[in-house]
Amino acid sequence: MIHRFVERSIIHINVAHFAVAVEQTLDARLRDRPVLIAPAGAARTPVYDMSQEAFTSGIRKGMPVAGALKVCRDCRVLPLYPARYERAMQTIAKYAGAYTPVVEQGSGDGHLFLDVTGTSRLFGPPPDVAWRLERQIKKDFGLAPAWSVAANKLVAKVATRLVKPVGEYIVSPGEEAPFLEPLPLGILPGVERSDLDALAMYHIGRVNQLRPWDLGQLQVAFGTRAQFLFDTIRGIDLSAVTPGREKEPAVAMEHEFSEDTNCQDKMEQVLYGLAEKAGRVLRARQRFARIAGVVVDYSDGRRCARQVSIAPATANDPALFEAARRALILAVVRRVRVKYIRLVLRKLLFPPVQLDLFDCDWQERQARLMVAMDNIRSRFGDSAIYPGRMEAPGLQQLFYA
Amino acid sequence: MKQMVPLTVRSGYSLMWGTASIKEVCHAARQRGYDRLALTDTDNLYGLWHFLEACRQNDITPVVGAELTDPATTDRAVLLVKNQEGYKNLCRLITARRLEPDFKLAEGVTRYAGGLAVLTRNSSHLEQWHESGVAVYGAMPRRPLPLSSPLCQTARYLNVPLVATPGSFFLSPEDMETHRMLRAIDLNTTVDRLGPSDAAPRDAWLASPREYEKRFEACPEVLANTRRLAQTLEFTGPDFGLVMPPWDSGTGTSPAGALRDAAYRGAQARYGRDLPESVVRRMENELRIIIQMGFASYFLVVRDIVRLSPRICGRGSGAASLVAYCLRITNVCPIKHNLYFERFLNPGRKDAPDIDVDFAWDERDNILAAVFERFGDHCAMVCNHVRMQPRMAVREVARVYGLTEAEISRVTKKMPWFWRQDTAGLDILRELSERPESRDLDLPAPWPRIMAVARKICGAPRYLSVHPGGVVITPRPVCEYVPVERAAKGVRVIQWEKDQAEEAGLVKIDLLGNRSLAVIRDAIAGLRSNGHLLDESPWAPEDDFATQEAVSQGKTMGCFYIESPATRLLQKKSRVGDFEHLVIHSSIIRPAANDYIQEYLRRLHGGSWDPIHPLLADVLDETFGIMVYQEDVSRAAVSVAGFSHAEADGLRKVMSKKDKDHVLADFYRRFADGAAQNGVTPEKIREIWQMMMSFSGYSFCKPHSASYARVSFQAAWLKTYYPAAFMAAVISNQGGFYSTFAYVSEARRSGITILPPDVNASDIRWQGNGNTIRVGLSAIGHLSLKTMEKTLAGRKAARFIDLEDYMDRVRPDESEAQALIQSGAFDALCPGRSRSMIRWQWACWKNRRPPTSSAPLLFDTVLHPVVPPPQITEDPLERYRQEFLVLGFLCDTHPMTMYKTEQEGRQIIKAKNLGRYAGKRVCVAGWLITGKVVRTKNGDPMEFLTFEDETDIFETTFFPKTYTRFCHMVDSNRPYLLWGIVETDWGAVTLTVDKIEGLPDYT
Repeated sequence: MIHRFVERSIIHINVAHFAVAVEQTLDARLRDRPVLIAPAGAARTPVYDMSQEAFTSGIRKGMPVAGALKVCRDCRVLPLYPARYERAMQTIAKYAGAYTPVVEQGSGDGHLFLDVTGTSRLFGPPPDVAWRLERQIKKDFGLAPAWSVAANKLVAKVATRLVKPVGEYIVSPGEEAPFLEPLPLGILPGVERSDLDALAMYHIGRVNQLRPWDLGQLQVAFGTRAQFLFDTIRGIDLSAVTPGREKEPAVAMEHEFSEDTNCQDKMEQVLYGLAEKAGRVLRARQRFARIAGVVVDYSDGRRCARQVSIAPATANDPALFEAARRALILAVVRRVRVKYIRLVLRKLLFPPVQLDLFDCDWQERQARLMVAMDNIRSRFGDSAIYPGRMEAPGLQQLFYA
Repeated sequence: MKQMVPLTVRSGYSLMWGTASIKEVCHAARQRGYDRLALTDTDNLYGLWHFLEACRQNDITPVVGAELTDPATTDRAVLLVKNQEGYKNLCRLITARRLEPDFKLAEGVTRYAGGLAVLTRNSSHLEQWHESGVAVYGAMPRRPLPLSSPLCQTARYLNVPLVATPGSFFLSPEDMETHRMLRAIDLNTTVDRLGPSDAAPRDAWLASPREYEKRFEACPEVLANTRRLAQTLEFTGPDFGLVMPPWDSGTGTSPAGALRDAAYRGAQARYGRDLPESVVRRMENELRIIIQMGFASYFLVVRDIVRLSPRICGRGSGAASLVAYCLRITNVCPIKHNLYFERFLNPGRKDAPDIDVDFAWDERDNILAAVFERFGDHCAMVCNHVRMQPRMAVREVARVYGLTEAEISRVTKKMPWFWRQDTAGLDILRELSERPESRDLDLPAPWPRIMAVARKICGAPRYLSVHPGGVVITPRPVCEYVPVERAAKGVRVIQWEKDQAEEAGLVKIDLLGNRSLAVIRDAIAGLRSNGHLLDESPWAPEDDFATQEAVSQGKTMGCFYIESPATRLLQKKSRVGDFEHLVIHSSIIRPAANDYIQEYLRRLHGGSWDPIHPLLADVLDETFGIMVYQEDVSRAAVSVAGFSHAEADGLRKVMSKKDKDHVLADFYRRFADGAAQNGVTPEKIREIWQMMMSFSGYSFCKPHSASYARVSFQAAWLKTYYPAAFMAAVISNQGGFYSTFAYVSEARRSGITILPPDVNASDIRWQGNGNTIRVGLSAIGHLSLKTMEKTLAGRKAARFIDLEDYMDRVRPDESEAQALIQSGAFDALCPGRSRSMIRWQWACWKNRRPPTSSAPLLFDTVLHPVVPPPQITEDPLERYRQEFLVLGFLCDTHPMTMYKTEQEGRQIIKAKNLGRYAGKRVCVAGWLITGKVVRTKNGDPMEFLTFEDETDIFETTFFPKTYTRFCHMVDSNRPYLLWGIVETDWGAVTLTVDKIEGLPDYT
């Protein structure tokens, strides 16, 4: 719900070049030098993120890596690990959760909005909260975020953009319009390339050039974008900070190939290992799965995810594998090698209490086999028993170590 | 003959199935002890002449045949030729299979079975064909079939012999891997995803006779039948002689008589009613040879084709013929310019000469269509066999291995472009890792594997494309000589590329497209529409002094063939602009000839020289002792090494072939022996040979150069006297050496005013008039042809009176309206208004324009006019930026003028003044126009770049050190500051750059 008339306090935390910053905390050698991150392998792959040094020498997000390396020849190129950034983001969001339940985070991009409206009595004024958070992030991660406090998300974001990569900016309520006045229009979030092109047709590049236009005039020139522009240049933004939703329970297992492969047999072996692992988790939790999904990442960074339903729901390794294999065949349609496979079992149910009308001897025996295998493994270790298809050099170490 | 004969052998011409080249197939067959071999590629005779040649070399009796498939089913049959009629039928059948969409194998074979032995494994076909009298045999594949199989039973019942046809797709069991790789490439999949019917079985290799006999031990009568059948196949290849296009006068006149009449009539038109003695003598001589060799109808057919267009350029060696000149096939007088007819035709010549004709690029397709219409199925185009080159092979194999495009490009971009399958040697991996560029290239697994497999598929034919202009016209339908198929772009092509077509005796006519002919045509038409009538019949631009002057100063941007920076520099350095020298220059400009160019310039400017050897004195006198023309090679071989004319001509031909290394080695041996006998020292022999090799396949014969020089002169003349009309035509026809930007600057330098596009004045094409060029609507990016046409049609009805009027009547879409505004096309319509204000005006029009649908609105909307916003100001830099964005150039100024502030405070020299600073280090600001990377003798890359500022265009050199340091910064079409030493060479000024800095890109 949006409280229109309550003065809001929004903190925006922006860790500049987040993905690179995360990598730099993991590998100190990457600090203070030009680094960029891009999905490895694709021919014209765009830059995903870059360090401040790389930014200064002219590299920008989205430009092709080949072009970026032309601009800055000694730039290190790192592969993209979205999961890593997401995990780091989760941790930071957890810190923020100590101050307010209303935390909005981007997906691994280093942006965090906190709605701290009305928490002053508990934690002190918003700038104090922001400052404490900054200190904590710095201490635990070695990341130095830029932050701002403003009455809405729009202004808060512009403020951090102004002080990036490090620093803080507090925009007092009511100061929004004068704050934005001298800025270039390109800095406003939500103003797209197409808007800037349309504005350039009127030779307009800054907020103060557009301010004299009334809504009617904006409508004539910019059509449906008029209201947005009208509000934005005046710092009006009523959107709420929206915390993410709870995730649906699922069992997920993943594998990254030491050498990328497009060999069907190898992928299926790995998939079987994953299905076994996932099956064991399911059985331990006493759940059956109804959907099996497979996500594959190709060498060139393209991802393909496919899922199939499992009927009847099961926690049996061979049945899970059969479903997963169908999903894999749907997912692997290109001949580019695969570097990563993830198996996700979803729609987890309690095992059906209702027995089958007729005896199903085969299912019964399968289930007993699973129980027996689980027992053996729990006593003698995972490698004590495994199916013949997993008899290949290296595989046991990977899955039964 | 006692042994088994393989009757179903495929080569690499069974595209993406077979692995071995025809040479390898024949060699392997010989080694395994076969003396008879049938080549049966699938649905084609692509390699027929290579096969016959390879059989000759390996002493094998060839059996001609093909495997024919049914497009709708998996049915197939092997057809073997028994006699001449069978060959024709085979060609007809393959043609039908390729051209008829609903071709059915069963019916087709019945239709054209004469002279063919048909082998099938389909029992119902066996029965059907047997009943209709076809010489059919039951084909027992790979292993003996059980007697109970339908084929055996039917054969026994019909009393038809069974033969063994163990088909092969590769030569040895190890080639299976290569075969499966080809299949995976073809089907766009990986090797382990290939289904059972996607590839040949493991034993589909060419085994020895013993092996086959062992396999078919159980049924000796099958082997006996096979031998018997092979013995009856006595056809060892077609023999057409020279196949000339047919010519029919319609009145019964013989071609010889008609040619004589036409040639003399033409001569009178060219030389006046009273023909000079020299003309008559030469004409008689030429006519005698032409008629004696049976080429009369060929000349007449070419004449008929040439008549389809008023402006052509006959080129190639044919331009040495007076008859061709009189028939208006060529435009250079061979007598005036000393062109020898014998270079084109002589009684000793066995192969077919060809006449190449250029047409304006936009007319050529119509000409081809007209030729096809007139000759119907008697004509088809020549094809190209596109083969796997190392780069393509590595790329395709790596894809099958699942590598990403980036990983692949990282390696393939280090592979030189000129690596072809013949020069790549054997080991791609080793060759690649030894190159200096690959120093930092790491090739981990699976690269070594990929390279090894790629090496095996290098040179495999991949698909057919169309030869740029080669047409064959035959007296009988083409498909009786060679199978015809349809190329991807829709034209009918024969299945042989030009070398095989020549070997077969099919005479080809080259009809090519040429942009400059269209430029000249349009420029003259432009002049005519402005009231300047140019009579072309006495037009002799090469004799015009002012034109020669312009040519000698290299002021030839836009002129055909002499506009590249290298040629313009050569012109400047030579300081001569007459026809004879231009002929030399357009031939000497070629790769690998730089040393000779320097030497030529020295000698041209009076340097002393001795002929490289007294034996060559006469041969090379005209060209200062330097080999310039293609025929110099053969003439040198004749006079130095005592080659016969035919032999020397063979050497000349080999040099332009791709697969030449070992043949050339043989020629060198003979050349060295011959020369040594004539008393030439080994040192001189090497020197002469090196000069001959400097042609490296790129050379012109003199008649060809002369034909080109004639067109160059026409262009240069037009540029000298009517620069506006000429440059407008150059830009409108596009495809010149430079960008529109560079041509606009050149026009401005010639004192021409560039008028911006204007909806009331611009045509679609650019128009030159007097001293102005009006930018055409075609220059505006994003503008569709439909809108351009609507603009012209609207204007024809009534001039546009204001912006709203234009918008109401033409209704361009939003992006087009924007582009028109940005380009300044409405400036004249809205005088006194800035472009941003015009844009506002357009936005207002858009808001209140009536809806296009006629459905009534739910509510009455009364639109109140909106007051313009208070602040619409014009920012000149922004205006230029936008104009540049849609046009790619600026109409009223050079973009360098936008960089005044950046240039302030620096000692910047203007390009036109560079000559005054010879030997000094200067700083120049310039816009990059074009560039060319070359390699030094050590293999290091360096670059020649052309820049310009608002005053002039200038050439720069980036030597390897500077190049390596700055090459990453150099990007096309933007401004730079350059520092370097000004150098002069025979009066031509260049800048040797040592430092470069980018200026901000405002565009």
